[in-house]
Amino acid sequence: MKTLEVRSLTKWYGSVRGAEDVTFAIARGEIFGYLGPNGSGKTTTLRCIMGLLRPTSGEVRVLGRRVRAGRGTEHARIGYLPGEFRLWGWPRGRRSLSVLASLGGGDDWKKHREELAERLDLDLNRRVGDLSKGNRQKVGVLYAFQHQPEVLVLDEPTTGLDPLMRQIVLDLIREAADAGATVLLSSHDLSEVSAVCGRAGILREGRLVELAPISKIVQQGQRRLKIWFTDGAPAPDVPTDRLPGVQVIERQPGMLHLAYYGTAEAVLKWIAQFPVDRIATPQTSLEEAFIQYYEIDRPAPQMQAAPAPHKEAPHA
Amino acid sequence: MRKTERPPFPLTLLWFWFRRTLLVWTGIALAIYLMQIAVCGIIHDNESVKAFLKFLDMFPAVLKIALGGEMVQMGRTPGLIAIGYQHPFVLFLYMLFAVGVPTGFLAGEVQKGTMELILSRPITKLQVYVCAGFLTITGMFALAMVMFLGTVTAVNIYNFGEPIPLDLFFRIAVNGGLLASTVGAVALLAAASFRGRNLAVGVTAAFLVVNYFAWILCQLWPRMYFLRHITLFNYVKGPKVWVGWPLDDIGVLAAVLIFALTAGGIVWHRRDLPL
Repeated sequence: MKTLEVRSLTKWYGSVRGAEDVTFAIARGEIFGYLGPNGSGKTTTLRCIMGLLRPTSGEVRVLGRRVRAGRGTEHARIGYLPGEFRLWGWPRGRRSLSVLASLGGGDDWKKHREELAERLDLDLNRRVGDLSKGNRQKVGVLYAFQHQPEVLVLDEPTTGLDPLMRQIVLDLIREAADAGATVLLSSHDLSEVSAVCGRAGILREGRLVELAPISKIVQQGQRRLKIWFTDGAPAPDVPTDRLPGVQVIERQPGMLHLAYYGTAEAVLKWIAQFPVDRIATPQTSLEEAFIQYYEIDRPAPQMQAAPAPHKEAPHA
Repeated sequence: MRKTERPPFPLTLLWFWFRRTLLVWTGIALAIYLMQIAVCGIIHDNESVKAFLKFLDMFPAVLKIALGGEMVQMGRTPGLIAIGYQHPFVLFLYMLFAVGVPTGFLAGEVQKGTMELILSRPITKLQVYVCAGFLTITGMFALAMVMFLGTVTAVNIYNFGEPIPLDLFFRIAVNGGLLASTVGAVALLAAASFRGRNLAVGVTAAFLVVNYFAWILCQLWPRMYFLRHITLFNYVKGPKVWVGWPLDDIGVLAAVLIFALTAGGIVWHRRDLPL
């Protein structure tokens, strides 16, 4: 049984699309990246998972229970960080967090909260309204993690944080997953996703266009070849009729940088007739792979679902 | 990890919101309390009362209605004390609480972005609504009781030269409290239905203004007397309260209150909040 399951989730705001036919599942102890540009439906999906929005169709199951809008389904076991974290301005940070932790039960998390605050270098005695944007975001992180949840739903958790704090938050996410928590990490920041997530889903215009391990997503994009010719021989012109889909990224005297899809066989056969000194295969970054999903002229790639890696870990 | 099937009632939220409104409630309650004592202080001197009644006779009907309507027409001390219960300033204070509190709890929290956090905890939308409704209704009734307490205090301070029927004022306070609670329920319905707090406040204020002017109009203009049925203010009638509990009026107000509360609860539960 998956900890978090989203099945054919569709949400329309009147005639405006939020998310359409989104399906994915996340196993216990897994960190799942949820990628997409603004307006692609990430926040809509997250709010449906939290029961804050009523799906037009489809269903969400968390910890085995079907999420019903407005019912607080399993919320005691979920840590949620909204994309725009806003808190009452007048109470002190500690008081606000305590009030929220106490909703639906007692606040038994004081010790853990203080530990987290220390780790995040956050002064909980200050009024939230007096805090900087970064410190307010730290309060948000603390809010999501303070009750040691089994499921973490995080919408852009490192927004506004400095690189050091960003790293600490990523460490917290990893530690939570190692302790058995299931993490759904929605982000624009691809380096963040590639750093902590084993698998990711990519949204485009409300639809999930990719759902695969990060390594596979990177491989599925354009691949690169850099060819240096012997003694600075001029780089030959690419026969586009024989090698369709091959693009010249960069051309210098004695060097050719190509991009292609699929296997390198045809390119290598063609290049073999020239005096090649050496060949390199630069790694495509997740960012480059990600951007390819949003190239306007390119149709959305067919989704290839990959099974979630099951990870057994001690219960948090 | 704890596993809960049904979220317990969020007493923390109730307490948090209660503390947030306590200052405003205390300020309004104090003003209403002092207003009752001040009214009694002015009228307890018979000579002054006689002068006041003569002075009042010179006023146009519209002003007399605004100053206390039919209660003043009774021309007796209790009728004059009751001015404090119907004074526009007192009504304004009631409505300030009735409009401001529920819209602040529901639409206000949504607008601030904190509702998303509240609802991400083990709490249902209906529980949030019940908290807002409970504080609104009990807050309004408590204000009515403070108003009555003001009269009780004043009766013990001043000598009116005649017995003051405190049971009458208790009935007026309960009837008035029910009217104010009904307005609070309408504000709650508006707060549950509209996107922003300002819109909810605006709609409730417009509802109140229309009700108030319909009430004035039907008293001044016989042809418009039929309007009395549509105004909530018609259901707090001095002469009826004078003789006993106006159960029919209380019934009408209670019915509107329950309808508005239920409708607000359904709308709040069903709609997607503009988070």
